[in-house]
Amino acid sequence: MKNFWSTLTLNVRLGLVVGLLGLGALFIGNPSGTSGVTIDPQELARIVQTETDHVSVETLADWIIQGKADYRLIDLRSDTAFVQYHIPGAENVQLTALSGYGLLRNEKIILYSDGGIHSAQAWFLLKAREYRGVYLLLGGLEEWKEKILFPAVPANPTPDQAAAFEKRKQVSTFFGGMPLDGTRQEGEPAIAMPNPVLPAPQAAGAAPGGGPAKKKKEGC
Amino acid sequence: MIAPFYKYGLFGDFTSLIIAFLIGIGFGFFLERAGFGNARTLAAQFYFTDLRVFKVMFTAILTAMLGIFYLSWIGLLDLSLIYVSDTYLLPQIAGGLILGAGFVIGGYCPGTSAVSASTGRIDGAVYLLGMIAGLVVFAECFPLVESFYNATPMGRITLPELFQVPYGLLVFLIVIMAVGAFAGGSWVEKRMATRKGATHT
Amino acid sequence: MSTTTRVPQPYWNPYIAGIGLGLVLLAAYVIMGRGLGASGAFTTLVSAGAGAIAPDHAAANPFYAEYLGDGTRNPLLDWLVFEMIGVFVGGYLSGALAGRIRVTTEKGPNITVARRLLFAFLGGGLMGIGAKLARGCTSGQGLTGGAVLNAGSWAFMLCVFGGAYALAYFVRRQWL
Repeated sequence: MKNFWSTLTLNVRLGLVVGLLGLGALFIGNPSGTSGVTIDPQELARIVQTETDHVSVETLADWIIQGKADYRLIDLRSDTAFVQYHIPGAENVQLTALSGYGLLRNEKIILYSDGGIHSAQAWFLLKAREYRGVYLLLGGLEEWKEKILFPAVPANPTPDQAAAFEKRKQVSTFFGGMPLDGTRQEGEPAIAMPNPVLPAPQAAGAAPGGGPAKKKKEGC
Repeated sequence: MIAPFYKYGLFGDFTSLIIAFLIGIGFGFFLERAGFGNARTLAAQFYFTDLRVFKVMFTAILTAMLGIFYLSWIGLLDLSLIYVSDTYLLPQIAGGLILGAGFVIGGYCPGTSAVSASTGRIDGAVYLLGMIAGLVVFAECFPLVESFYNATPMGRITLPELFQVPYGLLVFLIVIMAVGAFAGGSWVEKRMATRKGATHT
Repeated sequence: MSTTTRVPQPYWNPYIAGIGLGLVLLAAYVIMGRGLGASGAFTTLVSAGAGAIAPDHAAANPFYAEYLGDGTRNPLLDWLVFEMIGVFVGGYLSGALAGRIRVTTEKGPNITVARRLLFAFLGGGLMGIGAKLARGCTSGQGLTGGAVLNAGSWAFMLCVFGGAYALAYFVRRQWL
């Protein structure tokens, strides 16, 4: 074998090596593989413990108000629930459609559902496929309603609480919600959910496949 | 997966420009090593006397193609983050034919003309000027050709997706095609050399 | 010892040079997630020039406007522009090391220098037009797109060789 190899010219050797590599590719077929699931339980447990994967509703509200577009907001609920109301800029994707949806591994992705169960499960599914920037909206839509759309103030607020409530009132109005400042009477009809499309001119959230608008194209 | 490094945020835009410069040095270096700074060497491809253009180009393609395939297979490279430009079939066919004409008439392509100019060749520098003129002409006439320019868009499509076959199969076929062409090409070169009765470098 | 008096060394084995080139291309993909390019750098240069000389005209022309961006960033701070500067440097380095630096015009024996330079200019012009239609040149579409099996790039490459071979007979006087 060694003698055979030494009788060959450099070019023939190169040809044989590349031919073997090509043959290997033929057997491998698909290099990305459909399974491709790798889990490091320790690492995932650490992330969950330190809560580095959370985004609070207040932070998200801030980002939307500022018009940031460097993330993708994914609503995991059914499409009827989505149509009725969704956080501005959200994209409606079911759990089963998540892997084929076109989310990139290096994008910032924020998941939410009604509470936190489905978003936590989706988080795990994406992390198992080595998605880097996956986050959960802490408390889900329930928390969004409670803290952002319909913030409440205690009966006898301290000055600090009153000041904080004033700020939350502004945020709530921005999103078309209604602050609960105690002026509603008992027995009034339930508050309707606001229109998820914001009147503000800036485009909320991110368009599919978008990053910051100023990103330069990669031409040649 | 950690690659492509830039897309995983390992460094920023400023560093990427320095990397561009360094990669460019490698690019220009190997182009010149291959003899591509010389228009006669390049044009010889189309007269069958020296087929290095094909050999160098396709060896490079094979190397990078196999590298990308195997790095993706072992889980280092994320294929979904690799840039694949959109296909516009008709303009690319037309552009290819025109570019081929420009190649054999002028004797260079943009990258090789830069290498040629930097090693002192006047024709390389003139070629560069001609290219800039051609770009200006195209830009000024752009509104007229815009509809053709955007014709037959096919989006981001690779050969395996187009023919609905596995990626690895196409890699294998391209390897076989290229190695066969290399062997055939060497045979053609020898025939041309003995026919001319001349030796070439 | 002057480089111009050195005997020019023979070129490398094309396969070895090709492997070197392929590794540079692979490095670009692994590090940046993109391949090489050439025509894009010159397009940026032309667009920046247009933007400096006639800004309103450039902004109105969709071709220039795309390369000029939204004005927040200097268009010359472009990956391909820096890469192209590197190409000049790398080409010079290789040429200097091999004693192949010569101020001359490459041409066949049966044509004048003036004619050759005219053809070079025309060829360059055609190349510019072809490269823009095809969204790249042999580096950008050919090498880069070829390595990732981009369908349009392979169609393009076939046509480059086809177009060149088709015209080769008619310009043989320039080379042979």
